[in-house]
Amino acid sequence: MTNRKQIKKHITLYRHEMKRNIKTISVWTLSVGLLCLGCILLYTSLEDSIQEMAASFSDLGAVSAALGMDKMSLTTLSGYYATEIAMMHGLGGAMFAAILGSGLLSKEESGHTTDFLYVMPVGRRYIVWSKYLALVSHIVIFNLVCTGFYLFGFAVMGEGISGTEMLLFHFASMLMQIEIGSVCFLLSACVKKNLIGAGIGIAILLFGMDMMCRIVPAIENLKYITPFYYANAADIFSNGTIDAVMAFTGAALTLVSVLAAWGIYERKDF
Amino acid sequence: MKTEKMAIEINNMTKNYGKHRGVKDLNLHVERGDIYGFLGPNGAGKSTTIRSLLGLLRFQKGSASIFGMDVRCRQKEILKEIGYMPSEAMFYPSMRVKEVIRLAADLRGQDCRREADRLCERLAVDTDKKIEELSLGNRKKVSIVCAMQHKPQLFIFDEPTSGLDPLMQAEFFKLVLEYNRQGTTCFLSSHVLTEIKRYCRHAAIIKEGEVIRTDTVENLTRTNSRRIHMIRDGREESFLYQGSLNELFAGFAGHDIADITIEEPALDEIFMHYYDEEDRQSEESADMQ
Repeated sequence: MTNRKQIKKHITLYRHEMKRNIKTISVWTLSVGLLCLGCILLYTSLEDSIQEMAASFSDLGAVSAALGMDKMSLTTLSGYYATEIAMMHGLGGAMFAAILGSGLLSKEESGHTTDFLYVMPVGRRYIVWSKYLALVSHIVIFNLVCTGFYLFGFAVMGEGISGTEMLLFHFASMLMQIEIGSVCFLLSACVKKNLIGAGIGIAILLFGMDMMCRIVPAIENLKYITPFYYANAADIFSNGTIDAVMAFTGAALTLVSVLAAWGIYERKDF
Repeated sequence: MKTEKMAIEINNMTKNYGKHRGVKDLNLHVERGDIYGFLGPNGAGKSTTIRSLLGLLRFQKGSASIFGMDVRCRQKEILKEIGYMPSEAMFYPSMRVKEVIRLAADLRGQDCRREADRLCERLAVDTDKKIEELSLGNRKKVSIVCAMQHKPQLFIFDEPTSGLDPLMQAEFFKLVLEYNRQGTTCFLSSHVLTEIKRYCRHAAIIKEGEVIRTDTVENLTRTNSRRIHMIRDGREESFLYQGSLNELFAGFAGHDIADITIEEPALDEIFMHYYDEEDRQSEESADMQ
């Protein structure tokens, strides 16, 4: 009976958190999903200019490699998807995860609702985990809906795409978003104000690191830091696998971030 | 737990915020069934004490327990028995009042609908409104419902009447007294002396993080000081006098007293006297050293 009551309380917390972010998730899912869908649907009409763009990029060497154009050709819809669309989806998803994660815990303090939530007989541990579960759920929903949009786009265009590579890329992209969301979740546990700007900054910085480490060999090791590296669609579509070492490193950083956020929050003064 | 005589026991509690003082060696004992006032100016440490009791702050030294349960180890069990009303009363702006009240009940795992409806009716709470549309007073009323709907064993109120109109203040205390008659203990912080005098049985006075006096409200407000207003030698005078009235009148010899009024000092003056007395004692002990 007590356990059932406890589970009910946790479901209440989780549902409450899901409801609070419904606007953010709707705006970001529709913006990123529809933008990428639009780009897929415009492929035929843009085919000529895309081919011109591919030709000019092929002269740029390292930059072309950074964008994955050395592995995938823009002259096919799959290649266009793996280089252009996947980049937009990855960056959009990372920013969405960063915005959500960076405010999840601190918004209770900045909104002065700690005096409401933390005097309920629930326990900080459950509050932290319910919020984190809501973050992961939002990211999963974002990716499912966006992938649905893209598959619809491919169906309309009458072109097939490799299901395995598509699945692997979106799985890697989701891991990457969860990793960035978790790092920002940790940031949120340490501060009392919403640091949405800092969250977006982290996402863009990690994206920039990925581009740079592909161009400049001297900073190649940055690939171990940025999750954009293992979630690169061009690599996944051309190799047919995810870089397991990088993905495990990312998963480990995710776990450490969440555990640290929990530890800090358990001891925090409100 | 039910047999525990003390509702709140704080022994030598010290809480600092880095280099800043919170409370120092604070001792406080509130008996079950009491209505206990916690008096002090802004920044004296009232909210720090309350937040430490609720587990929102972690204190560095001393101990605190509620109904015999250590606040550091049995927080969840303690919070089940408490109805807390913060001074600011903030909720999620986009939620409706009824959703907030329901959320509070659900997070307690209780069905409080009947009591919540009764309280909303008594306090004239519009449950369909969104929180962002409410004034501070109306948010306070929602806070009262959230604190009372689960019929807790202990109320902890941090400046409960600020923002409430006089009618609602009266209704609020009526509710407090009703719950108190059923056994609920009430611990409230305030700097409104009249409400402490009218509703509380015991009170503690806190100054700069330290409790300087605890007693029954009756004893705390009893004084042999008198406020004298008079016109002496054509000049209007008003002063606080402590001592024999015979000596006072003897001192008037040779003066022209046109008018004189002798009355009990205002409540504020009595409490200011405790603060001044504390200051004098501190100065004297510093001089001796």
